Amino acid sequence: MRTEAVPGAGGRDLGGMVACAVFILLAVLALWDTTSMTDSDSYVFPRTVALAMIVFCLAYMGWQLLWPKPPEAGTAPPGSTPRRVGLVLAMLGAAALMPWLGFVICGVVAFGSIMALAMYEAWTPRRLLVYALVGVAVVVGFYFLFAKLLLVPLPLGTLFE
Amino acid sequence: MPGFEYLLDALTPLNILLALGGVIAGTVIGSLPGLTATMAVAVLVPVTFSMAPASALILMGAIYTGAIYGGAYAAILLNTPGTPSAIATTFDGFPMAKRGDGDLAVTLACLASVSGGLVGAAFLLVLAPPLATVALAFGPVEYFWLAVFGLTLISALSEGNLLKGLIGACFGLLLSGVGVAEISADVRFTFGSQVLLGGIETVSALIGLYCIPVLIDLVATPDRHLKVTHAPRGFRLAEALAISWRHKWNLLRSSVIGTLVGILPGAGGSIAGLVAYSEARRVSPRREHFGQGEPEGVQATESANNATVGGGFIPTLVLGIPGTPPDAVILGALLIQGVRTGPNLFTEEGSIVYTFIYGLFLATILMLPAGLVIGRYAYKTIVTVPKAMLVPTVAFMTLIGTYSIRNSVSDVIIMITLGVVGWILNRVGFSPSPIVLGLILGRIAEQGFVQAWTIGAATENLTGMFFGRPISLGIIAFIALSLFYPLVRARWVGRRRKIDAD
Repeated sequence: MRTEAVPGAGGRDLGGMVACAVFILLAVLALWDTTSMTDSDSYVFPRTVALAMIVFCLAYMGWQLLWPKPPEAGTAPPGSTPRRVGLVLAMLGAAALMPWLGFVICGVVAFGSIMALAMYEAWTPRRLLVYALVGVAVVVGFYFLFAKLLLVPLPLGTLFE
Repeated sequence: MPGFEYLLDALTPLNILLALGGVIAGTVIGSLPGLTATMAVAVLVPVTFSMAPASALILMGAIYTGAIYGGAYAAILLNTPGTPSAIATTFDGFPMAKRGDGDLAVTLACLASVSGGLVGAAFLLVLAPPLATVALAFGPVEYFWLAVFGLTLISALSEGNLLKGLIGACFGLLLSGVGVAEISADVRFTFGSQVLLGGIETVSALIGLYCIPVLIDLVATPDRHLKVTHAPRGFRLAEALAISWRHKWNLLRSSVIGTLVGILPGAGGSIAGLVAYSEARRVSPRREHFGQGEPEGVQATESANNATVGGGFIPTLVLGIPGTPPDAVILGALLIQGVRTGPNLFTEEGSIVYTFIYGLFLATILMLPAGLVIGRYAYKTIVTVPKAMLVPTVAFMTLIGTYSIRNSVSDVIIMITLGVVGWILNRVGFSPSPIVLGLILGRIAEQGFVQAWTIGAATENLTGMFFGRPISLGIIAFIALSLFYPLVRARWVGRRRKIDAD
């Protein structure tokens, strides 16, 4: 899969270096966590991996400091950031509220919210009606497929029990 | 060749109907992200209890083979592996779809799946008992080396930045360690959170890392999801057949790899696809195009993962050891039916086994028309449906698909979080594929390593344990080939050019 790295100042891969710093922190956290393990079977593998990750990150950062090289593809992400954030919040909200509100309500609300976020054409009464009906049909259809045919215990919502 | 009468038994109208229905149901279920082949088979097992054992096996085999193929649709059209077996299909399938060749990729995947399925079934028919011994010859250390072999793909997937690929793989390996350690049962990397005790579910992580970044970018612009530059071109069957014939050795090699990996209990279609992809890339003269929409990549993965169906049945039927998770479900269903698997099954219950194997051939052949039609419909739906409908539908499918794996809301939240992390990492040049490789292969590598280490330490022969077993040495040789062949070949080609120039 092609990645879309963002270049930093001075031709360095600033984003990559920041990510490496975060990875080093994660590796240190992992190493610290392994100190509580008593059995060597538990910590040998993760310690080795964490140490390797630190070495690779330091090597990458050192490489960038000594021989700066901007990433191959370097453009700011095109498109609307609020819509991106909205999508993630809608999905997270639906997941978080599912145990209380139930699958169907959360599904319909999330579907409607994401539909609004992904809409780039003008809303007409006809379009609104058709899209809303399709949205409800998709949510209810999947509910029946999973809950009734595949017997997945989808949350009903504690508020309604 | 076992009896012709069994072929006729498999060709009864009921069995043909079961095979066709099973393939269609499996394909549709497999195409939904989060619904795996195991789930497809498990859900439909109760339906088989009232059937004759051979017919029940045909139905379950057809569902299984259809589900493995169905995983390719979401991989190609949405960059989301419908099943873990289709991970490597995303590498070239989605780039093909992005450039307007999604219809060709779907047809190629169908042809490759049929080829792989037929080769796997042929091995099951002709060589099942001798091949079953391969499963017993594989110990922990061989699994460890096999996982390392899979990890060598990182160099291929890192797109010119090996260090970033290695860092991503380490991140994936650490993620695979979250939860309760398999051997020592220590709790790792949960930091007191109950939510992380169960570890990071692989399919949820796949959906998050591959699909959520696509959705995040889809919602941000009014551009079309896939490029459609041409008028409708039907199935593009002639083109796909020509490509398949041109790369017939790739199909055959990948199918054999898939069958052999399928025989290994616990390895499964994802490893088969990754190993076949790695080999296809190593051998291909167009290796630099892999990852950018190379048809050979789609063929390798899809033929290998469908070949695991036949391969997985070999230890299941001969030894009673399920080769893949769906085989475990089928094995349970067989036991309920009163069929006792084991070395004598092929002689004592030949009518059941051989009727089933011919039924598997039948289901695989029926997958061609069924798969082409469903694939065509899936492609047309994805390219024509308005974005305001496509994005919420796919987002909704990721939510319900992830939830249904373990009936866990936590998995859904982890999936979305990983998706956001994957999107950010993608922005700074870290591809999701090495992370996924680390996540999938980490558990196999760690388990194999720790078990082999324990045995080696107990027998005071660590070196012999890791480097003294013939199969291990064979896999190590392939690892070395995979890592160093491109360098050696580049030097060799350079020298040849220099000689020619002189």
